[in-house]
Amino acid sequence: MKKTINIPLGSQHISLLEPVRFKFECENEKIISVDSDVGFVHRGIERACTTKFKFDAIGYVVARVCGLCAITHSLSYTAAVEKLLGGEITKKAKYLRILLLELDRIHSHMLCLSHTCENAGFEAMFMRIMGDRELVMEIQELLTGNRVQFDYINIGGVNRDINSEVAKKIIENLYEVKQRVLGYMDEFTNNWSLSLKFKGIGALSLDDAYSFNAIGPLARASGLNIDVRNEIDYLPFNEIGFKMQTQFEGDINARNIVRLNEIFNSILMCENIVNGLPEGEIFTKLKGKPNGEAIVRFEAPRGELMYYVKGNGSAMLERVRIKTPTFACIPAFTHIFVGENYADAPAILASFDPCLSCTAK
Amino acid sequence: MKKIKVSLESVREEIESFYDYKKWHFLTLNGLALADNRMEVQWIFSKYEALDEVVVYYAEIEYTDIIPSIADMIPSAIISQREIVDMFGVKVDGSEKGLYLDEDSIQRPLSGCAI
Amino acid sequence: MLTSLIKAFTNLFKKPQTIDYPVTPIIKDREYRGLIEYGEESCIYCLKCEKACPPGAILFVKTETPSENEKNKKGLQYHYNPYLCIYCSECVRACPKPDEALWQSNKKPLPATKEGKVNESWFELEKLKKTE
Repeated sequence: MKKTINIPLGSQHISLLEPVRFKFECENEKIISVDSDVGFVHRGIERACTTKFKFDAIGYVVARVCGLCAITHSLSYTAAVEKLLGGEITKKAKYLRILLLELDRIHSHMLCLSHTCENAGFEAMFMRIMGDRELVMEIQELLTGNRVQFDYINIGGVNRDINSEVAKKIIENLYEVKQRVLGYMDEFTNNWSLSLKFKGIGALSLDDAYSFNAIGPLARASGLNIDVRNEIDYLPFNEIGFKMQTQFEGDINARNIVRLNEIFNSILMCENIVNGLPEGEIFTKLKGKPNGEAIVRFEAPRGELMYYVKGNGSAMLERVRIKTPTFACIPAFTHIFVGENYADAPAILASFDPCLSCTAK
Repeated sequence: MKKIKVSLESVREEIESFYDYKKWHFLTLNGLALADNRMEVQWIFSKYEALDEVVVYYAEIEYTDIIPSIADMIPSAIISQREIVDMFGVKVDGSEKGLYLDEDSIQRPLSGCAI
Repeated sequence: MLTSLIKAFTNLFKKPQTIDYPVTPIIKDREYRGLIEYGEESCIYCLKCEKACPPGAILFVKTETPSENEKNKKGLQYHYNPYLCIYCSECVRACPKPDEALWQSNKKPLPATKEGKVNESWFELEKLKKTE
């Protein structure tokens, strides 16, 4: 007689709305093996970038890969093309780019934390965090003119300047967010259903994080020092107070704490930018067509995002390769599930903060 | 970005001698359509805590060649290997099953030659 | 325990976070990115906006009844598809006379209806453009 039963999570399952399926083989309550399938949706964006659109429009196309990290996608593509064109953008444009990137990280991390609460059965906290997230969305709308699809970054700079009213509003709202996040810090460390219940669940050891090439908050919660903001020099992250946040337990609680600490760090960086914004133009015209190949990496809220761009001197590019964070982490995800209780699977999955919209590019 | 040319036969040995899992991490496996029914395969690595150190191993191959798998050394490579199978219609050792495409869909959309 | 009870009690008298739409209108920011608007009199028909638009939501198509603008030598007419537009304002930046010929408002597009034949009429225009 067979001792195990197979339970699927997704793709049309009630607890998982996204197009991914994990097939768990369970013995009693324990998961003993996992099979994953992420190939339900494919939108063909890589091909569209090389056949349908000219290189100067692709920044807007790749922003549509994902709504939550739209800014990182267009920023990575733009940085790659700027590398190929060989121009230098102004310091003010660089700072404004980081400002929006970090605001994006704050609201994305807040979304993930609220989902973790929801999966722990803590609906009230979910509503509270989602309500507070509006403060950040409001600033983003003031800054860029839209809540989700920012279309803020342009080859050569940014599209909109910041005025003193918006700057004041940013400082005010970020102060408010900081107070709220301090409150979450308390809940996430002391509340029974958010901290103690999550301790030791879904743990990834440091050695496994290395061997499965884990990235983003998932890896940093295991103590792996990987943050692309530390490894690149196209944007001056170190000037404005970037500090890597790591924990060592590797479980769900550690991931939440890493995200909370990153929110604090991002708020600090945003405040530094708004207070010390250099004068200057926000746009420099870059001439020419991209020729050659470039690899650009950026830290999206979920981890490392890589763009490979190859141009041949014409307006159409030869190849655009997008490596999204969740896609690269799928093997690590399946590894973490093994040995856990089936009942914990939705909470573990929420703590990965998977972005299936990026994965199905 | 440092590019190192390898042949398909030697790529496994090259990567095995180079890859230290505590120093480097595997980014992705990338394909690139070339002229005359050829393609370029790139194994892209980057170094932890170093300033933009990216190493690319690349090999020029025919579409009929079989790419050796590195999934036993680097478990996270399996997913990009399955992706490249679908996108370019090549064969990767051990990853015959693609990721996205159904049997009746357009085969190898990124290969750049006859679809 | 006590604080949570007090909180739960005071929450009963709190106003909701959401807006009572449509009774209370949503306050739109002045700088909100909305529809692109066009001033025919100032247009010089350089077609830069058409080339700059990433999704191709602006088309200049030949018409039999062209406007009386003297710059319009080829007899073109401006067409704009608000449902294709991504409101990136690339066209406004490309325009040599922004604010006069082409500018961005903070208005929203109306919902598209079946009677409006949004797609059909636009596909016709795209076909016309291709045959030119």
